[in-house]
Amino acid sequence: MTLSPTQRRGLIGAALLSAVLIAIGVLATYFGSRYQIRIVYGAYVNLLVVIGLQIFMGNARITNLSHSAFMGIGAYVAAICVTPAATKAISLPAAPFGLNAFSLDPVTSAIIAIAITALITALVGLFIVRMTPIGATIASLAVLVIIHSIFLFRTDIFKGNQAFFGIPQVFSLTSIIVVAVIVVVLARGFRESRWGVQLRASADDETGAAAMGVNVARLRLIAWILSGIVLAIAGISYAYFLGTISARPFYFNHVFLTLAMLILGGMRTVTGAVLGTFVISFGLEVVRWLETGPVVVGIDLPEVLGLSGVVLGLVIVLTMAFRPQGIMGDREIEDIFSKTK
Amino acid sequence: MPRPPTMLDISDLKVFYGPIEAVHGISLCVPEGQCVTLLGPNGAGKSSTISAICGTVKTSGSVKFLGQDLANTDVEDRVRAGISVSPEGRRVFSNLSVEANLLLGAGIRRDRDAIRADIERWFRTFPILGDRRRQMAGTLSGGEQQMLAIARALMSKPRILLLDEPSLGLAPRIVSQIFEMIEQLKQDGMTILLVEQNARQALRISDYAYLLNTGTIQAEGPASSFGQNDELMAKLTGLG
Repeated sequence: MTLSPTQRRGLIGAALLSAVLIAIGVLATYFGSRYQIRIVYGAYVNLLVVIGLQIFMGNARITNLSHSAFMGIGAYVAAICVTPAATKAISLPAAPFGLNAFSLDPVTSAIIAIAITALITALVGLFIVRMTPIGATIASLAVLVIIHSIFLFRTDIFKGNQAFFGIPQVFSLTSIIVVAVIVVVLARGFRESRWGVQLRASADDETGAAAMGVNVARLRLIAWILSGIVLAIAGISYAYFLGTISARPFYFNHVFLTLAMLILGGMRTVTGAVLGTFVISFGLEVVRWLETGPVVVGIDLPEVLGLSGVVLGLVIVLTMAFRPQGIMGDREIEDIFSKTK
Repeated sequence: MPRPPTMLDISDLKVFYGPIEAVHGISLCVPEGQCVTLLGPNGAGKSSTISAICGTVKTSGSVKFLGQDLANTDVEDRVRAGISVSPEGRRVFSNLSVEANLLLGAGIRRDRDAIRADIERWFRTFPILGDRRRQMAGTLSGGEQQMLAIARALMSKPRILLLDEPSLGLAPRIVSQIFEMIEQLKQDGMTILLVEQNARQALRISDYAYLLNTGTIQAEGPASSFGQNDELMAKLTGLG
């Protein structure tokens, strides 16, 4: 397979981003406390979500608000498959279809979770990709609410807002760094592929791209499903580390958080997705600390509950107002190091 | 001299936008290797005719390309058959690089290495595009964008090139450059259907011309006789 110069640059960019991801991970592993490692792990889970979001939003330039729900599907399917039958007999006594009577190894469970998430995204995608961008965004919001309602009220399968516990904790920070590197290469590869370029062209000028024989709906569907697969991987990584999941983390707050990350960093590039995730993940830790009313250089700051929500909202508003293309705009990481004319 | 075989044959073509009929049953043909111009003022139905040939609007009547009726073919089939368009208003993909724009023109092709070679060939033909290959197309000047739009249309290796108002909104010096480029393409054997308001320049490089107004053909004839018809030219240049 021959690569175009742009694709070769993409590979270099993906390698640079991977180096950053590995560096952050190694620093956290060797110098971080248990608590800090959890924070960094959480940042990597969100990184997978934001990259999953970027694959569709950044290339098709259609806002998606249902992504956290697809992450949830991945997490729940993997959890149901992998949790030992003995645990499920206690936690899901009334589960239908014999869901509490079997258990599989983590790899098989993950594959099943990805396959089922891909199937559901494909079905939803068939409708989404034929809508206008605004229609698709509103429909995606409805999909989020539908899936969340199912998680919440089919307590016999998902346990709703109670903890679904007993998931084997097979993932470490190292595992998710490996996964993140693979996903970054995948996302960058898609962006620079023929499909990615055609999809971005259709976002620029749908009629123009169509006149060139670009099948816009098909390309959107491909990106949508690929995005769903990455979201499933994010959900699985989340479940395999924490060991417990519930419906709440796969809803509005998480949609909003990850959306803010992508918007701040810049949705058009994979670099933007990575940058936005880390800036907000680590920035929010500082904000949460300020929320508690700490003493800084002798000044006793007041307790400000809800500050993180305000800050997150402000990030979206201010970015949209002053730099709608995000910090990175159209630049990928390699463009920073080699100036384009 | 016998007329060359017909490449594009349109008869009784009507174009509809919802209930509105924009083109009222026109017939025209483009012989192989020739340049045919469609003249006419704004709103005459020129661009609608181009869209009908590309397959992006609702039509009735027949459009035959190389003897085959295109009635039940979609846009992609038509690009594959060899129809390519440089759309009105230099519609390049402004958020993509110059190179990506060219790559998109080759969307139906699978011969990767030949595509790369063709892109390099265009960069040699238009060094200004080569210098800006990684620049966003939206940052190019009007003339450069038009060159890019035409080069992009040629990337699909078309049999016929449809050029929709390539001189629109460009400075006179740039317009002359664009027409030189079109003339060169014609000399290389490309069949061209040119839509223009700039009648004098278009007729100079064309073999045959049609005058379209309010969705009907009002005059047609060899480009040279069009040019000698003073009354018609006065009307056309007045419009242009």
